[in-house]
Amino acid sequence: MIFSTELLIQTLISGLMVGILYALMALGITFIYSIVKTINWAMGEFYMIGSYIQYAAVHLLLGPNYWWLAVIISTAGTFIAGYLLEPILFKPMYDRPMQRRDDYATVVTIALLLLLRSLAVALGGPNQYRPESTLPMVWLGPLPQEGARVAASVCALLALGIFWVVLRTTWVGLALRATAQNRVAAQTSGVDVFRLDSVAFAIGVALAGLAGALLAPLFMVYPTNGAVTTVKGFEIIVIGGLGSIPGALIGGILLGLVESLGTSFISSPYQNVYGFVLVIAVLLLRPNGLFGEKGREA
Amino acid sequence: MTGNGADAKPVLLTEGLGKRYGGLVANQDVGISLTAGEMRGLIGPNGAGKTTLVNLITGIARPDAGRVVLDGRDITGLEPHVVAGHGLVRSFQMARVFANLTSIENLMIPFFASGAKGGTATALSRARELLRLSTLEAMADALAGSLSGGQRMLLQACAGFMIPSLRVYVLDEPFAGINPVVKDTLIDLILHENRERGITFLIVSHEMEIIRRMCPRVTVMIGGSVAAEGTLDEVAQREDVITAYLGRTAA
Repeated sequence: MIFSTELLIQTLISGLMVGILYALMALGITFIYSIVKTINWAMGEFYMIGSYIQYAAVHLLLGPNYWWLAVIISTAGTFIAGYLLEPILFKPMYDRPMQRRDDYATVVTIALLLLLRSLAVALGGPNQYRPESTLPMVWLGPLPQEGARVAASVCALLALGIFWVVLRTTWVGLALRATAQNRVAAQTSGVDVFRLDSVAFAIGVALAGLAGALLAPLFMVYPTNGAVTTVKGFEIIVIGGLGSIPGALIGGILLGLVESLGTSFISSPYQNVYGFVLVIAVLLLRPNGLFGEKGREA
Repeated sequence: MTGNGADAKPVLLTEGLGKRYGGLVANQDVGISLTAGEMRGLIGPNGAGKTTLVNLITGIARPDAGRVVLDGRDITGLEPHVVAGHGLVRSFQMARVFANLTSIENLMIPFFASGAKGGTATALSRARELLRLSTLEAMADALAGSLSGGQRMLLQACAGFMIPSLRVYVLDEPFAGINPVVKDTLIDLILHENRERGITFLIVSHEMEIIRRMCPRVTVMIGGSVAAEGTLDEVAQREDVITAYLGRTAA
């Protein structure tokens, strides 16, 4: 492998771009956890739903020029799916004793994962699809980048910005931050925490759906395409710390960079291994993750 | 007690409230009745079931038996946020403030969550007034996590006052472990809101001097049930109350 400054810069840029998309997934997982206090193991399946809606919208309805409209439809579609599913999935959990809720959520979301994958097979078969993309190559200085990849990371960055503004400046954002900190206090202040659960779950899965829609032309559309991204999402959670929003963002970008550097300068077939090396290193140095709080509530 | 008989309809009423935790009877056949604008003390030795009663009234726990009536409306077993929306609010013994939010933000939450009419401007001016009354103006934009224990108690109390529909405020040990200056500020704040808005208070406390000053009537709980009711000096004479507080006297 020949080292050059150009290659290094290109590697860093592509690592950064893919890292932002990883961050979307991780942010979704961490955000749902911070409110609902459970882990959604079916996160990758909402990524999958987003990618299918994207493919259907581009291929059957809008055409490749309106890919951005399709992205909005996919995100909104997964948001609505999440909002409607959450009460059905999690409301019964609160009738169970505290120490049983994790088990309940785990079983329910894994069942959902299997259901959604089977549904995808039933609807579209085991085939791979790819929504057409007519976006041209983008030249960053002398370096070419795939148009769809640049578009994906710009959209992801935009979505992160919107997420931040909603969380910081709106009443719902304030209620979400309060509930994340102290659920009982929020409830006794009059906050309808069950509605907020649905909102938080919907926002979280919509972030996954958005990632799925944006990456559809690059990583293909098929029933299990969410599996790898889920694993990356959880790697990032371990790196950044569960429940930490900055942890999800920085962890995502870190993972993107490490993978990209490893692929360029060490060996490309091991792309998915570098992340785990990073995970082990973080666990050795900071067992709670970079921004994690100590322990967790049962 | 003010003697207007026609106006003595209870604002908060419990009938036959009962709660068991496994084999432990935490509350049994508890009936209390508060009239509008009343300041009622709730006292009793540790383990008498005071906090259980507070939890049952405010929807934190569901009673096994009996009912809770607020302003003629049965609110038994409703979720805490619904109870709060109807104007029945509580504070916790360990102040539950949102540490990563500013004092002002802490006060905005109950205002908006209760679906209050009026915009941010109304909420802000109300919040600033409450912070002034509790001598926390300087901390308005500080994170609640940076407040002292006593200041957190004050902020928590203010949060309840932010709910415009507030009718009955249940304070669980509001004076525990805070310094005398903050204690006086909190007492003044409670009396102010009682006077200005006619808010009814149920105050759980071990601080007999404060209860004597604030509450014309007290309810005594012993062993999960109401043992006595009257002025503090009246109930303090009673044999069963003395026994419960001081242990069994030699027969």
